[in-house]
Amino acid sequence: MPSPDEIKQRIEASIPGAQAEVEDYTGGGDHFRATVTAAAFEGRSRIQQHRLIYDVFGTEIGGAIHALSLKTQTPQKTPTP
Amino acid sequence: MSSSKPSAIRDLPMSSNQTSPVGEAPTAGGENPIRDAISEAISEHKVILFMKGTPEAPACGFSARTVAALQALDVPFAAVDILPDPRIRQELSAISDWPTIPQLFANGEFLGGCDIVTEMYESGELAGALL
Repeated sequence: MPSPDEIKQRIEASIPGAQAEVEDYTGGGDHFRATVTAAAFEGRSRIQQHRLIYDVFGTEIGGAIHALSLKTQTPQKTPTP
Repeated sequence: MSSSKPSAIRDLPMSSNQTSPVGEAPTAGGENPIRDAISEAISEHKVILFMKGTPEAPACGFSARTVAALQALDVPFAAVDILPDPRIRQELSAISDWPTIPQLFANGEFLGGCDIVTEMYESGELAGALL
């Protein structure tokens, strides 16, 4: 069963420059919520942004990862120092 | 006058608070009647939600939240319960290239799942997208 940290690392490894915050919001190890900030999202629709993340996990979504709730943003909206 | 609906459409577990005509039947003996029925349902309903359970009795929190957003806007929508037959979800995801349920379509286009619909509702975009 994936841990929030594993999900975070896989998102960050697959999407260049991405920063992810992942929490297990039921404590059951299969419902996760991720907020992902990435420059790669620029110019893409929200649907395309979410697809980029879903693609990291393929068939695990709906399987081992029962739910992965997503919030995506580009770095401009949350400037980092 | 024809009283026969395409069998695949009839087999989709659909509930609707809109009346809508049933269009052309998919070709009899088609390769993929479930996919055809889903595509047809998407094109025939201005707003259609594929969900777990029904609007009256959602079987998943994400589906419930999406129904609540639509109901808050007082938008009529058709709903298809994907749970009775796993092939519905499989074919739906193949059409939309989206792995999760619920999935909302308006005017024939995929709008998003629970997260996106909720974000659009909160930002005020959803009502416009459903026109």
